[in-house]
Amino acid sequence: MQRKDFLIEPVKHIRINGKLTVDQLIQQFKNSGSFGAGRLSTACEIYEKMVRDDECTIFLALAGAVVPAGLRSLVADLIRERLIDVVVSTGANMVHDAIEALGGHHYIGHWAVDDHILYKYHIYRIYDVFVPEEDFTKLDYNLKMMYDEIAAENIGKSLSSNQFAWELGKRLKDPNSILRAAYEVQVPIFLPAVRDSEFGFAYWLHAWKKAPEETLLVDAFKDLPELVEICKDSPKNGMIVLGGGVPRNTVQSAALASKKGMDYAIVITMDRAETGGLSGSTLEETVSWGKVKGKADKVMVIGDTMIVFPIIVASALERLGEDYKRLPYMKRKYLKQLEAYK
Amino acid sequence: MKEKAEIKRKFCGNCGNHNAYNYPDQVFCTKRFSENKDPIVQTLWCCEDWNPSSQECYCIEEAMKKRNSK
Repeated sequence: MQRKDFLIEPVKHIRINGKLTVDQLIQQFKNSGSFGAGRLSTACEIYEKMVRDDECTIFLALAGAVVPAGLRSLVADLIRERLIDVVVSTGANMVHDAIEALGGHHYIGHWAVDDHILYKYHIYRIYDVFVPEEDFTKLDYNLKMMYDEIAAENIGKSLSSNQFAWELGKRLKDPNSILRAAYEVQVPIFLPAVRDSEFGFAYWLHAWKKAPEETLLVDAFKDLPELVEICKDSPKNGMIVLGGGVPRNTVQSAALASKKGMDYAIVITMDRAETGGLSGSTLEETVSWGKVKGKADKVMVIGDTMIVFPIIVASALERLGEDYKRLPYMKRKYLKQLEAYK
Repeated sequence: MKEKAEIKRKFCGNCGNHNAYNYPDQVFCTKRFSENKDPIVQTLWCCEDWNPSSQECYCIEEAMKKRNSK
């Protein structure tokens, strides 16, 4: 490298006027190319590339309380529009999806509140979002009945977390539900840590007084062949990670196990790399494991998912245009494989 | 004063087995649920299995206010 190689593209200063669309603003960020603005504009480009790449299967990893905070409909719409192909989520996000599907709500609250008063009113707090306890109680009660039904229909069989999620989606009628959307369009939705959520406690309600053979069996190990096969069969793979945690690790591990490595990667997080935890690990670190290809289009955006992800989607949709329709590469193949596992 | 005294009486809404259901009128009783009985009971009801809640909530106070306002 020579000195001139470091000094190729000058920073173009951001110009704002009252008529800017979301994507035009992102183009201004691209002109700057700096700091969070540069990373966000790169993320928009990578997502557009993933969607336009006919050979790419797009994984969305969901962690953090993004569903109670307001990303529920956005994720459901992306599933229905086939702009993501596989969802890997915390159990908790789908619990909150089911709460709303059953008529419950999340409320705009405040982080500076007397939490003991909330406790006395049976209200739970997720930073500045409030959830009434009765919505959880009603969820548990409904889930118990759903589990009874699913178990009775699957005696002697265990379900992968994806099959479990589809069974729930089948029983939730709300069209805005992520679980319902995934079931209707048969987008795989894996919940690798399903036990660590209200779904796990509802199992306890369902199984308490039943013989083991009468209880619902969800086998998290069963997810692996399904996930790895999806990665393996797809010529290219891309991931969008909201947060990190178990969903990010599950998607990346599938890329590693299939010896493919991700071709595209967007990670939105506010976690730091120095602790050695996966959620803040850099994408360069991920390359060392073979989970993301060295030459992948990749970017980590350090920011609040609730701000960053909707902007990425809005920018990409604007670029794709209203009439754009995507047919996922894996769609037909995957359904055949799933049949084979049943 | 009468309300305060009543709050200290035994009700489903100050029993350790209750969760909110239709706040403040009804609660979900985990004990009845485990016994395959209808778990939805009135906040101001009570049964012989009552046990004190480890932390107080506003269920009784609010249910009484609502009852008295009718």
